[in-house]
Amino acid sequence: MSSKQQHCQSAGQTPQSNSAEPTVESSLDWLSAAIDEQGVSSQQLDRLLQDEQLQQHYERYHLIGAAIRQELPKQIQLDFSAQFAASLQQEAVHQLQPHGSILQRVGARFKAAANSEWFKPTAQTAIAASVALMAVVGVQHYQQPYEQELMSPLPVLQTQPVAGFATPVSLSQTTVDNRLEQHAHQAMLEQQRRLQELLNAHHQQVRVLEQAALLNEQPQPAVDAEPNGNN
Amino acid sequence: MRCSLLLLLVSSLLFAPVLQAESKGWQLFKQSQLAVQTNNFDASYVVIKGEQITSFRWLHGLHEQQQLEQLVPMDVDGIDILRKGKIVYYLTPEKPALITLSSYIKELPSLLYLPIEDLRELYDPVSGSVSQMGGRSAQLLRLSAFHPGRLSYWLWLDIETGFPLRIDTVAEGHQVLERWLVTHLHISPELPASLQALLELPLPTPDHRQLQPRGSAPLASDIQLAWLPSGFKMIEDPLVVPSLGVPLLHYWLLTDGLHQVSVFVQQPNQQPPQAYRDGATTIYVHSTDQFDVTVIGPVTLEIARQIANAVRYD
Repeated sequence: MSSKQQHCQSAGQTPQSNSAEPTVESSLDWLSAAIDEQGVSSQQLDRLLQDEQLQQHYERYHLIGAAIRQELPKQIQLDFSAQFAASLQQEAVHQLQPHGSILQRVGARFKAAANSEWFKPTAQTAIAASVALMAVVGVQHYQQPYEQELMSPLPVLQTQPVAGFATPVSLSQTTVDNRLEQHAHQAMLEQQRRLQELLNAHHQQVRVLEQAALLNEQPQPAVDAEPNGNN
Repeated sequence: MRCSLLLLLVSSLLFAPVLQAESKGWQLFKQSQLAVQTNNFDASYVVIKGEQITSFRWLHGLHEQQQLEQLVPMDVDGIDILRKGKIVYYLTPEKPALITLSSYIKELPSLLYLPIEDLRELYDPVSGSVSQMGGRSAQLLRLSAFHPGRLSYWLWLDIETGFPLRIDTVAEGHQVLERWLVTHLHISPELPASLQALLELPLPTPDHRQLQPRGSAPLASDIQLAWLPSGFKMIEDPLVVPSLGVPLLHYWLLTDGLHQVSVFVQQPNQQPPQAYRDGATTIYVHSTDQFDVTVIGPVTLEIARQIANAVRYD
C-alpha cells in the first residue's frame, strides 16, 4: 500500500469515497507523494510555504503515517510549544541561595543547645547512632585462655544484632537446647548494650577533656551571645 | 685531661648522626602539624578498622587568625562537627547541640595537635622511604613508642606540603589496628566556600555556667587503682562522671597526654573475661565477686588487663 493510500484509509476515506471532491483530492496528490519522498517541484514547494491550509494537510498526513507505523507517543501533544509555555508560567520560581542550606541546617540546631542532655544515658544512646564515630560494629571478641591469645587470631563478634540471627522459634519446636541458646543470645545482647553505653561514655569524656583547662584560661565568664536566646 | 677530651670528641662523633636523625624526624612531624593547622583545605578521608570503613569530609581554614573547621561523617545523615577557635560544636539532627571547649576536634587524629615536647617523651621518630601515594610523593615517618605497651604510629607525609596522607596505628609486631587514609585533598589560598558560609552563621558563645564542671556523683572511696601504665597519670577530677544505666561504683580517666583510657567499676555481672577491639581501641571486661571492671582505650590488651587487675578494695 502506498503512503497516499495509507493516509486516505487511515482518515476513513477510501479513494472511491473521495471522488466527491476530485479537485481537492487531486490537488493533494503531489503533497502525499512529497511525504513519500517522491519529489516536489519548486512551484509546489512555494505553494506549500505560502498556503496555511496545505501546511495543515501536510502535518496531518505525517501524523497519520506515524500512527500507522506506530511511532506516536501515548499522548500526542499537538501544540507542544504553547503547552510548555503555559506550564512554565505556572511553575514556581526557584532561586538557588548559595550556602543557604548549610546555614539553615546548622542554625536551626542551636535552638535547643543543652549540654546536660548529652550526659544522660538516654542521650548517649542517641549519640551512638549519630556522633559516635567509632560505633561498635564488627568488633573483635576475645574470650579464650590467655595462653591461646597470641597463638590464634581474635574471633569476630557482632555487637549489634545481625539480621536473621534471632529467628523466632515456635513453642512446639522449643527444646532445652534452643531455650538455652535464646537465653545466651539475650545475655549477649544485654552485654553488647552495656558495652556500647560504656564506649559512648568514654568518647564523651575525651570530648570534654580539655574543657576544665581551657575554662581556667578564661578568667572572665564567656558571655552567652546565642542569637536564639536559649541554651 | 686528654683522655676526657678524646672521649668527648668520640662520643659527639658517635651520637651526632643519631641526634640529627631525630631532629629531622621531629622537623618532618612539625611540618605535618602545621599543614593541618595553617592551611585552607578541603579533604576527605576514610578510617579503616578491620573490615569496617567510615568516611569523612574535613574542611579547615584560617580567618582573621582564627581556625575554622568542619568535620562531617559521610555515613550518617545530618551530623556536623564544627570548630571555631577553641569552641567545638557537635550537631545532630533533632537533638540538642553539644558545645565544648577544645583546641581540636577530638575525632581527628590527636597526634596532629599535641605539642611535640609531650610526644618526645613517648616516641622516637624514624624517617623511612619515599613512596607514591595517590599520585603524590609521600615520606614515611615512623613514631616508634619507647614503651612496648604503647601503640606506635606510621605516617606518610606529602613531601610538597607536609600534609599527612596516611596514618597507621600499629601494635607490636607491626600489626596495623587502624588506618586513617586521605582520599581527596585540595589546598587553596582561600577559605573553602562551605566555611565561608559558616562565617555568616552567628555561632553561639557557650554559656560559662553550661561549661562549668558539675558536681560528681559520690563514688566508693574504698576502691583503689593500684597500678598505672608507664607514662600515664590519673586525671584527678574528670569534668563529668558518666551517668550510666548500670550505676558506677568508681571511675577513673587516665592519660599519657596522647591517649585516654577510661576505667569503669560497676556492680558484678559474673561474666567471664572478655575483650573487644574497635580499631585501635581495646575494650576489656574483668569480673570479680565484688565488681566488674571495664577498661576502654587505645592500649594493648595486656595493658588493659593489668589495669583491670589493679582495681581492688582497700
